[in-house]
Amino acid sequence: MRDTKLRGTALVAILLMVAVACGDGASGDGGGDEGPWTIGVSNTLVGNGWREQMICAIKAEASASGVIDEVVVVNRNGGPTEQIADLESLISQGVDAIILNPTDREALNSVIEEAIDQGIVVVAVDQAVTAEGAYVVTNDQVAYGRLGAEWLFEQMGGTGNVAYMRGIDGVPADTDRDTGFQEALADFPDINVVSEVFTGWDPSTGASQALELITTQQIDGIWTSGIDYTVVDQFAAADVPYVPIVGADNNGFIAQLIELEGDGLVGAAVTNPPAIGGVGASVAISALQGENPDQEVILTPQVFDSSEQGDLEGLYDADQQVGWSTYVNIDPYTSYEAADVATCQGPGE
Amino acid sequence: MTAVVRRRALNLRRHGWSIGVWLLLAVLIGWYVLLIPRFGSFQIASIIKNSLPLVYLAIGQAVIVITGGIDLGAGAMLVLANSASATLMQDQPFLVTILIGFGIILGAAALNGFVGWIINVSRVPDIVVTLATSFIYSGLALMILPGPGGGTSAGFRILFTGSDDGTGTSFGFSLGMLLVPVVIAAFFMRRSRTGLSLYATGSDLNAAYLSGVDIRRAKVIGYAFGGAMAGLAGLATVAITGSGDPRFSIGANATLNSVAAIVLGGVALTGGIGSVVGAVAAAIIVFFLSPILSAMGIDPNTAQVVQGSLIVVVMMIAGLLALRRRRAK
Repeated sequence: MRDTKLRGTALVAILLMVAVACGDGASGDGGGDEGPWTIGVSNTLVGNGWREQMICAIKAEASASGVIDEVVVVNRNGGPTEQIADLESLISQGVDAIILNPTDREALNSVIEEAIDQGIVVVAVDQAVTAEGAYVVTNDQVAYGRLGAEWLFEQMGGTGNVAYMRGIDGVPADTDRDTGFQEALADFPDINVVSEVFTGWDPSTGASQALELITTQQIDGIWTSGIDYTVVDQFAAADVPYVPIVGADNNGFIAQLIELEGDGLVGAAVTNPPAIGGVGASVAISALQGENPDQEVILTPQVFDSSEQGDLEGLYDADQQVGWSTYVNIDPYTSYEAADVATCQGPGE
Repeated sequence: MTAVVRRRALNLRRHGWSIGVWLLLAVLIGWYVLLIPRFGSFQIASIIKNSLPLVYLAIGQAVIVITGGIDLGAGAMLVLANSASATLMQDQPFLVTILIGFGIILGAAALNGFVGWIINVSRVPDIVVTLATSFIYSGLALMILPGPGGGTSAGFRILFTGSDDGTGTSFGFSLGMLLVPVVIAAFFMRRSRTGLSLYATGSDLNAAYLSGVDIRRAKVIGYAFGGAMAGLAGLATVAITGSGDPRFSIGANATLNSVAAIVLGGVALTGGIGSVVGAVAAAIIVFFLSPILSAMGIDPNTAQVVQGSLIVVVMMIAGLLALRRRRAK
């Protein structure tokens, strides 16, 4: 048994030498101090604009750093079972760091710890994992819910009817945002939540729900979980005056906050940046360079409201789609230009 | 006489296809060894263990399709079994988790056998009934386990993965768990009277009926066997992840992959043709394409196109071979 294993190893070693001789420069040294290094990315939701931008931010940061020679992306729809397989395949490919958007807080821990044991830097972005030794970079979703709600309730003068348009029931980000929303609500006793709906984070669902809300009820303010620009569209469609609205830093919403200011639109964009991928890459690179970055980075959302038109114009990007997340540069982590994220090219691509 | 000759030709084609698929798998593994910097027991353990759920699902789907049906609820049954077992097995000792595992397999078999019975009685096409059951199973899974959670015993994880935390370098247990169901299913389909009646039913319903085969029983048994395998797949996912996850998309993906695997494995969707052994190799290939394409540095979106194209190309080659064979006669 041991003998065959040895022979197998020898065979593999020979094959490996051949592969290297052929110029197949897969780096497998598992994290020295010099670089260049390879970063592996594991994502399990394909075709989602936010996730795609997250991956592009990782590639952009890797390119900008100059010490990464390849970004290997494993991207397919799936749950923890698929992600475990993907992580093991990245380990097998000999990447030096893995950035993942985890499907589960705990189910991936053993494979993450295995990677760390093999000297691989592991960074979980967007959602946390509990594995020991993993770096975690997240957006503070509780603050996201609270900051937007506080702005809205103050804007409404602390009284009136609010429509509460949430994301997907049971998803951690939605639950956390609800916690923050309820915290803010507790401080404003005269605010009534007259309607609570789940948009499923789907722009067209949100639009039809909003149209029904504003045409059938007296609404004084709308809080959305990032489904914003299609909701704003409904006011013009129904010929109803605008009410204060909270959304995310989507390009389409930012454009509306600028263009429709004269028509009476008042709103606030709360950031939920997919650029967190870039932050994750930056943390991974620091760790590879032996700089011992913080084990946990929690990004507090920024609030940009329509009274600060200059800031909004700084965020707006005329070249991008409506769903493009405008808050791209996160100090002090990212070092790329917004255009690098848009072109979405990793090193050597 | 001609029937015997035709059966022999069919047999040859059947085995030829299986051998071809296994060879393709061997080539892919060889290629992968060249692509990645090191290939050792960690990689072997990873491939075997992670392909288990799809292998089980493909065995079940193969048996059902050979019987002349198709199960669009297979992936949802995986999710249901996964959610139910993770909920029941949490904090239980090894022996209890094993008992629960058997209970889940039996329950899955009974539930899916019942689906076969409904198809018999209602005469509604399989694809419609099982599409409906896919939603029912997913809904049940969400009722049992509303969000990711649950757990299982360390021993149960070792049983499928060779390691008490699901990731490691020992692959003996995984290999055993791969081989035992394959051997049982292959033996059942090829050597038992019941298995042959499934082939007969899927091959020609009327001929089977006229020859005295109980075609309704065959359908119920086919679906029950498929359900048991989907249940086993659910148990494997609990062992691999150590938890349950009730999301609908997981089941939908798994169903599509199981159908892709059996088609690639030489099982004819018209029923009666194909083998479990071929479907197993194809299931490992379908699983394996993702790591291999990523090791080749192919963009993941392109990888999906490659994966789909491969299935189309293989099916076209199969069609061409069949055409040439007919012309040669």
